[in-house]
Amino acid sequence: MAPQSMFAGIKVIDFSHFVAGPHCTKMLAEHGADVIKIEPLTGDPARLLPMHKEGRSAFYVQHNLGKKSMSLDLTKPAAQKICHDLIKDADVVVENFSPGVMKRFNMDWAVLKTINPNLVMCSISCFGQDGPLASLPGYDYIGQSYAGILDMNGEPDRAPVFADLTFGDVSSGTHAYAAIVAALFHRFRGGEGQHLDLCLQEILFSYHEMNVQLYDASAGAYIPKRAGATHGVAAPAGIFKCGERYLFVLALGAQWDKLAKTMGREDMLSDPRFADLSARQENKNAVNQAVQAWLDTIADPDKALKILQDERIPSAPILSVPEVMEHPHTQARDMVRTVVDPVWGPLKIPRTPLRFSAFPDIPEQTAGFLGEHNHEILNEVLGYSAENIAALEAEGVINTKQV
Amino acid sequence: MTRKHVLDGVKVLDFSHFIAGPHCTRLMAEAGAEVIKVEAHTGDSARHLPIIREGRSGYFIQHNRGKKNLCLDLRTAEGQEICHELIKTVDVVIENFTPGVMKKFNMDWDAVSKINPDVIMCSISCLGQEGPLAKLPGFDYIGQAYSGLLGMTGQADGYPALSGMAFGDVSTGAHAYGAIVTALYHKAMGGGGQFLDIALLDCLFSFHEMNVQVYDASGGTQVPKRSGHQHAFVSPLGLFKCKENYIIIVAIGAQWNNLIKLLGREEWADEPRFANPLVRNENRDEISAEIERWLSTVSDVTEAVRILVQENHVPAAPVLSVPDVMAHPHMQQRGIVQTVDDRIFGEVKIPGAPLRYSQYPERLELQAPFLGEHNEEILREKLGYSAEKISALQASGVLSEKNI
Repeated sequence: MAPQSMFAGIKVIDFSHFVAGPHCTKMLAEHGADVIKIEPLTGDPARLLPMHKEGRSAFYVQHNLGKKSMSLDLTKPAAQKICHDLIKDADVVVENFSPGVMKRFNMDWAVLKTINPNLVMCSISCFGQDGPLASLPGYDYIGQSYAGILDMNGEPDRAPVFADLTFGDVSSGTHAYAAIVAALFHRFRGGEGQHLDLCLQEILFSYHEMNVQLYDASAGAYIPKRAGATHGVAAPAGIFKCGERYLFVLALGAQWDKLAKTMGREDMLSDPRFADLSARQENKNAVNQAVQAWLDTIADPDKALKILQDERIPSAPILSVPEVMEHPHTQARDMVRTVVDPVWGPLKIPRTPLRFSAFPDIPEQTAGFLGEHNHEILNEVLGYSAENIAALEAEGVINTKQV
Repeated sequence: MTRKHVLDGVKVLDFSHFIAGPHCTRLMAEAGAEVIKVEAHTGDSARHLPIIREGRSGYFIQHNRGKKNLCLDLRTAEGQEICHELIKTVDVVIENFTPGVMKKFNMDWDAVSKINPDVIMCSISCLGQEGPLAKLPGFDYIGQAYSGLLGMTGQADGYPALSGMAFGDVSTGAHAYGAIVTALYHKAMGGGGQFLDIALLDCLFSFHEMNVQVYDASGGTQVPKRSGHQHAFVSPLGLFKCKENYIIIVAIGAQWNNLIKLLGREEWADEPRFANPLVRNENRDEISAEIERWLSTVSDVTEAVRILVQENHVPAAPVLSVPDVMAHPHMQQRGIVQTVDDRIFGEVKIPGAPLRYSQYPERLELQAPFLGEHNEEILREKLGYSAEKISALQASGVLSEKNI
């Protein structure tokens, strides 16, 4: 019989905070896993990030849908025992502390694999579990610096810029999700449990689909460097101005012929300076200037875009986040998901991008309040009595808060 | 039984080209799956991207190691028939053509699921399989523009900046990999085959860990907008000049107090205009001036990072170039930069795959295939074609081979 959801019955104990780990366990929850999120008594620090309403963080809601929340003081042996008991019967543990912290809590892989040899444990960190940088405090942008990403953004003669979104965190969460599911699949086919060591720096470094190989294979002759609004290698490829708007235009191969004709620049097609991809690359300023000059004559971005897209020349308007959220294509694909939070009411967040034909709908889910499920988990999963639970509360091992 | 890796025994038929699809099947091949890549006679366009040595593309090598290669003309009935027969034998079909192209080849999900109801088919596209933009030609940066990512990168009053890398393609490949292993797991648990619709646009849009919610929850009063080298909403979080280099500093939590102590500005701790990261952002020029004043007194960026991180626990990092990253001791020790030895190209460095499994700590030794290298092997061993039949397909131009 086919299961009710993709991960029906899969139990996840989640020690993660901020974005990278929570994004991973959110995806597991969205696909049917039973996720228990363990937070410190003060809560995941993401609960302090904006926007807030009555103390409730919408940022936290976005990344923690569908999880049960348990708040524990992990420095206390009673809390560690609760975790060990939960892990005995779990399939997956996810954590994104700095390397070494799980060991302090008696929950590093060496300990957990003795408690549950079938466990899949995933550690997500900024720099990995070993190596000279491993113990540094890590954030997405720190990983981006050490992966050579920030250096590739911005004008060549000016300070680098960064993208105001943490694609390192979110995509590390996705990589972790994929690695965990691959390990679960392996376990189902007779393999054992294992530890997964994923880090932002390495994931971000893998985004260099070209630069590493270019630098190495050119024996250092080609040094990847940020190139502002246009591409460092290919031309025409870049962001151009049209009226009050910016447009992205790219024309490689046969698209270049179409673009030259569209621009009324057939002369460029017989000019040896623009004869092929590498010639256009050498004369990229002239190529890009021709595109800009043509866009200046059109002056109307909607009109320019229609001409380009009708000719099937790759092109797009640079949209702001509100424009993306209101775009008819975004709406047609339900890319913006509205969740209903008990405090916030309806709240818009990005839809998780995995789309399965067997399960087209994402379940209705809310994010737990801090410690909301302490009693339920301790009582129903571990069989603790009401007296036991009251004692843990009195000793400050657990707490609850409507945030 | 002993497996060589977590996806050992999983069979994949791969119609993808350029990066997003090939990165996905690269991750699968690196996890031990058997991948047959089907290419047109002209080859995957990635074979023409630099650096090229003796006709062999280093770019292609990076994204296609460990795959077998079948080069055939998908426009011919014979070419389609071979693919249909192969679809019967595989677990996964993957493609990243513009929506509609697989239908032209008689291999859209309707056709594929009739041939093999248990198969998992993953279609990767720039803008998704349906919707008003679906049929536009798609590249990474097109997805970046339509997702609002480009709009969030660059100086507020200037052009948006283009990142010199295809993180939309690569991360969409990783998302597709995640979706495929999920569907494989589900199938193993008794679920059937299914279709996966993975779009760059969806993946890039999901990177807005904050912007969508902030815009919506603020009732539109907080409009996300690119803000150059500092974060749009919180401060201090951004890039600062340090001698001839740049440094990134993140001090939005408890580290704020450490930072102002280091700057000799302890009195800021009590000032309402610096009370939290959001209001600090309104006064960020004053903070930046103090940070850069302090940075000007330090010998260099390495020393600045040391003082901030080691002595004051303030997260900070030097902005490294790609060559700096490749030479960094941490990358060396973790083996993040992988050297592969191609049969024509020789040694070339590429980013190593970032998924690390404790049961399989060693990377598999993999080669990128020549165009059509495994035509004969696949047709003979998988489909039982005779030597005569294979020769006839070669003669009629359905198959093709080339050592590139």
